[in-house]
Amino acid sequence: MSDKNEENLKGLFEKFFDPAEAEKMTEDIRGGEEILKRHPAPRPADTLIADIKAKVSQAALRQRKINLYRKLAYRMVAAAAAIIVLVSITAKLAEKTQPEKPVTASASPKMIWDDKDLTTLTTEIEQAEDDVFALRTDQNGNGYKETELTELEINVTEISSNFWKG
Amino acid sequence: MSKSDDLARIIIGCKNGDSESFSRLIDIYAGRCYGYFYRMTGNKEVSDDLLSELFVRVVEKISSQKGGSFEGWLFKTASNIFYDHLRDKQRQKKLLELEGNRPEIKSAETERLEDDEIDKLQKQLKRLDMDTKELITLRFYSELSFKEIAVMRSEPIGTTLSKLHRGLKKLRELMEQ
Repeated sequence: MSDKNEENLKGLFEKFFDPAEAEKMTEDIRGGEEILKRHPAPRPADTLIADIKAKVSQAALRQRKINLYRKLAYRMVAAAAAIIVLVSITAKLAEKTQPEKPVTASASPKMIWDDKDLTTLTTEIEQAEDDVFALRTDQNGNGYKETELTELEINVTEISSNFWKG
Repeated sequence: MSKSDDLARIIIGCKNGDSESFSRLIDIYAGRCYGYFYRMTGNKEVSDDLLSELFVRVVEKISSQKGGSFEGWLFKTASNIFYDHLRDKQRQKKLLELEGNRPEIKSAETERLEDDEIDKLQKQLKRLDMDTKELITLRFYSELSFKEIAVMRSEPIGTTLSKLHRGLKKLRELMEQ
């Protein structure tokens, strides 16, 4: 076996030990490695190498498939992420450009008055309106005074405005 | 084209999953990796299995090898495989002991035949502690620099130098006995 750093060995030892000691250590190492060179390990059999190559070829094919699926999965995840980002940006933009919804007044009394109060008041208003209507229709025939009619109308208006005020 | 350029091209081919590149990689490194496994285990059959396992693992993991020395990475993988094997062996031994089965005891004749098959160096390497044996074997078969070996073993370079020096000196003494 070649030793790619053989020429630097002494220099390397001198960084840690005094020159005489470094010289001795370098010799010991070279001597020891010489023993390994003189006793080479057996080589792998040709049949073993052929068998490994066959196994490796199959494993490489399997690995290529895994890598391909992995790449596809990464791309799909990236595409899904891009779609999510686009959708959220579009939704934000749409939210900004949309005019504000007007708040209808009808919503308020419903929230303030409960159903029972509402029904009572509605009945009162209807009753008052009916009275006004009856007065108007009988104005000339039954001798009701103009002032009574006006009073009633004021009452109706008052009840109605109280209702809407809550 | 230089040797390193050629190797770089082969590694790129391997990373792309090219079977021909893997075949060339095996031709380049099988001998040295086999030598490492054989010197660590002293057994040809086990070395055969570990070498197969190494190259299959190379196929699976080569895409994670980024920069640095390829040989450093390859022999680090080989070292991991060897230690995995050692742990499995110890686990099996413990399991057999727990089940009340005594581990197989080799007869003197079998041991003598096995000893005839392995060389003197192998016998003396067996007498060194595992860490020193691995350091000597790794240095010799991986052809890595001391700096690379120190990085691989996560220890200061001075420690690596001292350990290797002590180990080789001891081996030399054992071989001269």
